[in-house]
Formats: sequence, structure tokens, C-alpha cells
Amino acid sequence: MAQDARVQEFVKSFQSLRSEVQKIIVGHDDVILSVLVGLFAGGHVLLEGAPGLGKTLLVRTLAEGLELSFSRIQFTPDLMPADIVGTNIIVEDTSGRKRFEFQQGPIFGHILLADEINRATPKTQSALLEGMQEGSVTVGGATRPLPAPFFVLATQNPIEMEGTYPLPEAQLDRFIFKARVRYPAIEELNAIIERTTRPREVEVRRVMTGPAVLRLRELVREVPIVSHVRDMVSLIVMTTHPGFEHAPEVTRRFVRYGSSPRGAQAMVLGAKVLALSQGRYNVSAEDIRAMAAPALRHRIILNFEGEAEGIDSDTIVARAVESAERLAVREKEVFLR
Amino acid sequence: MVDPTRLDRLVRGVARQVRRRRLEFYGLKGAFYGAVAAVVPLLAKGLVGPAAAAVAVALVALGAAAGALFGLALATPRADVARVADRALGLEDRVATAFEWAARPDRTPLVDLLVADAIAHVERLASAQAVRRVLPGEARLLPLPLLVILVLAVAPAVRLPVNRLPDFAAHSDVEGSPDRTGKLESREQTLAKPDALKAGPLSERDLERASASLVSAGDRPALFKDTALGGQRPDFNSFLKKGDERLKLLEQMDALPDLRSDFTQSEYKMMLEQTKALTAEGLRPDQVPPQKVRELLEEMEQMGRKQTPEAAQTAAQGLRALDRGDQVKALDAMNRSLNTLRRAEEERKGALNLSGGKQGETGRRSSDSGDSKEPGNPEQEDPGGSKGLEPGKGPSDHPQGEATPRLEAKPRDSSLEGDPRSGKKDSIETNTYGRAARVPSRLPVGSAFEQYQRMMEEAIAREQVPRDYQPQVKDYFRALSEK
Repeated sequence: MAQDARVQEFVKSFQSLRSEVQKIIVGHDDVILSVLVGLFAGGHVLLEGAPGLGKTLLVRTLAEGLELSFSRIQFTPDLMPADIVGTNIIVEDTSGRKRFEFQQGPIFGHILLADEINRATPKTQSALLEGMQEGSVTVGGATRPLPAPFFVLATQNPIEMEGTYPLPEAQLDRFIFKARVRYPAIEELNAIIERTTRPREVEVRRVMTGPAVLRLRELVREVPIVSHVRDMVSLIVMTTHPGFEHAPEVTRRFVRYGSSPRGAQAMVLGAKVLALSQGRYNVSAEDIRAMAAPALRHRIILNFEGEAEGIDSDTIVARAVESAERLAVREKEVFLR
Repeated sequence: MVDPTRLDRLVRGVARQVRRRRLEFYGLKGAFYGAVAAVVPLLAKGLVGPAAAAVAVALVALGAAAGALFGLALATPRADVARVADRALGLEDRVATAFEWAARPDRTPLVDLLVADAIAHVERLASAQAVRRVLPGEARLLPLPLLVILVLAVAPAVRLPVNRLPDFAAHSDVEGSPDRTGKLESREQTLAKPDALKAGPLSERDLERASASLVSAGDRPALFKDTALGGQRPDFNSFLKKGDERLKLLEQMDALPDLRSDFTQSEYKMMLEQTKALTAEGLRPDQVPPQKVRELLEEMEQMGRKQTPEAAQTAAQGLRALDRGDQVKALDAMNRSLNTLRRAEEERKGALNLSGGKQGETGRRSSDSGDSKEPGNPEQEDPGGSKGLEPGKGPSDHPQGEATPRLEAKPRDSSLEGDPRSGKKDSIETNTYGRAARVPSRLPVGSAFEQYQRMMEEAIAREQVPRDYQPQVKDYFRALSEK
């Protein structure tokens, strides 16, 4: 069966890409999963974590596992939009005539690592974010499409906030997921020491091509989702809004704005990828639960009190999921809950 | 397309389980209420007769049957049943999705795979119990009415009170004396005998009647002889006089005591009394027991939550200061919170047009010239009043402290230095000629202020302003509005 073969191809590609990345990256299974799900869902992923936790290495390794071009931009305060998208330069041909020629910037790559994205000015950030949203850039009046697949992995450091330009909420919304790179456990730390302080023996194989990624992205969208799971997604998004009548207390107290509909889209697409990666042909409520935090944590804007109290947006999401599950069966009879 | 009969069979099986569980659940419920109803005929066994037990059993059975029928009549939507099956059998929403998408026109090619996959999963499952048993709360209580039924069924009939006149006809039949006059005569003879009471059995009514006849008007002093009233004579004049005084008092509406002004009726005044008791002992702020201060602050916070959030916030500040060991600040916060509570109390009373309210207070102050504080009036002796309180020093005229001195500066500091240039200088005339257009100001200051004040109130209501800063923000706007 052709469809079955496509699904098997997806499972195989996903698993092999994951295992290639895990050859180099120790631990961080949830981050690797978020990145891979983001890749197949057709979005861009924001990685947040303290320096030295392997964010950049993860992205580089992923790029090594794919037969795709890779570029990296180290964001600094003096970085200009032209440094990202490219610019028109004057060139002289053999006959001595001068003309403008477009010199492509690093954004014209398949996989783009935007390292420490919050260190560049908003103007420069927006140059990248426009490309992420539209899939094309406009330079000198000419619109140039970006190569497909175009996958941006941006990193930001949450502790060195001085001299940074935090991404505005509207721009954060363009990342399908935000993964938090946490400090490794002691066993993982031991493995990192072992693996990184001796000659590198492991080679990352290229397991997938660009067209294959695009093909598998199309397959993801065919995965069906049952209506009660879809309703649960909507309820989760609604319960992140303080104005919603069934919003939990923690949301009412600490949230200024809840998630946008993009949050719901991200959850469903992520859940579809997750289901396919497990060889399943449908989205389950468990997939939605797994994708809720990465899809919503950067879309919830805390109010001043929430910021002052140090409320974690993951807590808000967890409460929202609980409330949504309760609400979904509230009206049902005891044996049908 | 894969035949989804197996899935259908699974869903039907689960639906059967749901119905069975419902039958148990609602049947037990009905049996409980039937059993409660069955107690009634057994209580009235005397009236109902030997059929009472049968009626009771019938009621229990009827209740259970009605409950079970109700349970069976409830709808079992397939989508819900499929969801229950998925959840109970760990099928990860396969069955529900397959059912829903198999019937949709926009089905994707993956749906066929999904149906096949769901069937494969269902086949692997042993016949499992998908719907767990849930017992209603009434099931635990069911033994109680059943026990009562059993006891009542075995026990003799309960004698019910009968409110009706004695059956004289029956009585006369028993005595067998048809001559009524002869009966009356014999009764008179019985009463005439002095030892009649001793001879016959005494009823309570007879005893009461006897004691009433003994205590006549002349015997009352004898009754009160051992009490203080024993030596007093009835003084009717003084009673009348006091009555007149009471009537006059009733005419003076203003002098009537306001029961609501009783300090036990006002939480604020209770709080004030407790604060006074705490600070009236001449203790320095650091000598006041912190536990008492904490108790008072917690009470104020609770009270403020109900009435005045501002007072609750101030009390919370005090609690935090107490946690830090800063008792002076805690006492200060306590006084401020008390002030806020007092203001709220005055406003509330003012709104109700009660004495002690803001309007009444204003009226009284306007009628009195100057400082009209009456000594001994607890309302006016408020230690946390408008004058403020310095801990250990008593009332202060500067509750917010002394004003910060201005930085020293000369007015010429801002002027340019150097000598003016001599000679004719070019200049541009900036005067405008003609009448100014008579248009209203684009931004009336008054409405702009109200607008900002509304925004401030909304921001506070939405808790965008941190709790600790809210009083400052409010004070700022209050100061502006006073100007």
C-alpha cells in the first residue's frame, strides 16, 4: 500500500534522524523531539537556554544529518538587515560595464541557525522574521523566494539580558515551538564529558534530503484528528485567556494575554507529526498534551504580577490543559466521561 | 475500504456495558428513594393494616425498577462510546477517529490505514471491561432505610396520636348507665367528699387546677416572702411616672440608641478597640507583643478583603514588615489599615445615612465651629485618625513625615553665560495677527484627567499594577483630583 509505505518512510526517517542527532547530543530528548517535530511540521523553533548547554551543537548536528545547506548568523547589536538578507553590489563585467548584482545573504540557506537572536536590534530581527513568515525576502524592490525547506532555529540566552532586545510577542508567535534547554542531569553530564573530551569518532550520516522533508511535511497534514481532541485543543487555547469564563485561577491572576490561534495550529501540527513518528495514523489526546507546552509557552504573556512572582508559563499551560480536559467532559454523563 | 464491522461490534459491546452500569447505578438510586418512601406505610401500619409490609416491598421494587428504566432510557451516542472505549482500552483515540472520519467526505488516504490499524488493535484485545462500575452515593445509605423497614415490619404498629373528642357514647355504654342525671349526681357527690383527691387517681390537670385555686390574690405576698419583692408594696404612681418618661424618650427619635453603632456590631470598631488596648499600655513599638500585632494585622487583612482591598493590602504590607522583624513599620501599616477601614466605614454609613457616616459627620462639623471633639467619644478618639500616629509619641500632625528639602539652586543657573552681542541683530517676528478661532480645546483637561483616572482604575482592577504600588498610584491620582 503506497500510503503505508509513506508512513513507514516517515517513521524510519524520523527515527534515523533522531538517532543521528543523539549520537552527538547527550540527553535533551524533549528538545531534540521539539526540533524534529518543528522541522516536519513546517515551522521554526526557538531554543532557549543558558550558554554551553549544546544548543548550537544540536542545530549543527541536525544540519549534518540532512542533505541541506546550512548557514549560521551570530546576532550582534551592530548586525544590519543587509547582513542577513544580502545586498546589491556593483560588479564590472568583462566589457567594463558596471551593473548591480544581488549578493545573497546567509538567509538563503535551508537550515539557518540564528544564534543569540535577542542580541540584534529589532530592525535586524524583523528582517529575519519576515523571511520566516513569508518564505521570501524583498531587497531593492525585488522579491526573492527562499529555498525550501527553510527551517530557522534561533537560540536565545535567558540570563544575560543586559544589552539584548527581547523578541516582541508578535515575533515570538512566528516560532512554532519554543524548546527550553535545561541543565543536564549528572549522568548526562558524565556522558558529555566522556564524549567531548576525546577524539571525535562518531560521524553523523546524512539520512534525508530536502525533497524528502517536503514530501513528509505534506503527509503530516493528512493525519486525521477526531473532533473531541480538536475541541480539547480549542479549550486549551481558550483557557490561557484571562477573560475566558472557565479560565483557571492562575490564568486569571497572572496572564495578560493568552495564546493566539497560531498556538492551536502549532499544537495540532505538532501532534500530527508526533503521531506519525510513532507509526500512528491519528492524533490522540496524549499527543496534544505532549505538544501543549512547547507550542504555547512563548505565546502566553504574563502580567506584571506574574513576572514579579516569577510564574513559569509552563505552569499556566499545565493548568490550562487540566481545565480543558475537565471542561470537555463536564457536561457528559458519568459513564461517558 | 476496510470493513469497520469489528469496530462497530466493539462499540456496541461497550455501549452494552454502559447500559448495564447505568442500570445498576440508577436502579440503586431508585431503590434508595423507594425504600425511604416505604417507611411511611410501615409507620402507618396501624391504619394500613397487614398490607403495609407488602406496600413497602412494592415501593422499594418500584423505585429500583423506575431507576433502572431511567438508566436504560438514557441515550448512548456512538462517538462518546467510542471515546470511552479508546480511553478504557488504551487505543489512543483510534476507534473514535476511525468512526468519525470513515463517514466524512473529506477523508484522507490515511483514514483507510487508520481503520485497518484500529481493527488490528481491537482484535488483539481480549474482551475487557471498558466501563468501570460507579456506585451512587445513595447506595452506601441504602442499608439504613432497609434496616428501618425491617424493624418496622417486625415491630408492632406505632400508635399514632388521634386528635378527636372522647367518645362519650362508648363510655356510657361501658358504664351501662343510660341515666345522665344520675351520673351528674354521683360526680357531685364525689367532689363534695374532702378526701376525694386522695382516694381517686390524680391527673396532671387536676393538680394544676388545685394549685391555681390555692394561690389566690391574697396569697401572693406569701409566695414572694423570701425574695426582695416580698417587702415592697405595689407603687402604681411611680409606674405611671416611669411610663411617661419612656414615652417622652420614644418621642426623641435622635436620642434613641442606634443599635448598629454598637461597637460589637461594627468590625472596624472591634478592631479599633483591640488596637487601643494594644497601644494604650504605654508600650514602645518594640515592646508590643509581635504575636498580637500579627493577629490584628491578619484580622484586618481578612476584613479588608471583604470590604476594602486597600486596607487588606496595607495590612499585608504590615505582615511582611513583621516577617522582616520591622515592628515599627508593622504598627504603622496597622494604623494606616485602620484608617482605611475607618474611611470605608464612614462612607458606608454615609451611604446608609446613619450616624457616624461621612455625611452626618460633615453636617456635624459644619454645625460646630472649630474643633468640636468630644472627650470620651470613641469615634473621635481614633488613634489612627486623620492626624496620623507616631509610634511611641502619640498623634502626629505630619502623618506622611516632613517634606523633603529642595535642592539648593540659583535661578540664574539655567541662564546663558556670557555678554550679549552688541549691534543690530536679525530677528523673525513671531507675532500673529487677527482673532483666534473660537473652537473648543482639542483636549479638555478635565475629561483627559477622568480618562486617565479610569485607565488607572482599570489597570488596578486588571492587576497590572503590583499590589504594593497600588496605594501610591491611587494617592497620586487623588492628589491630582484635589487640585
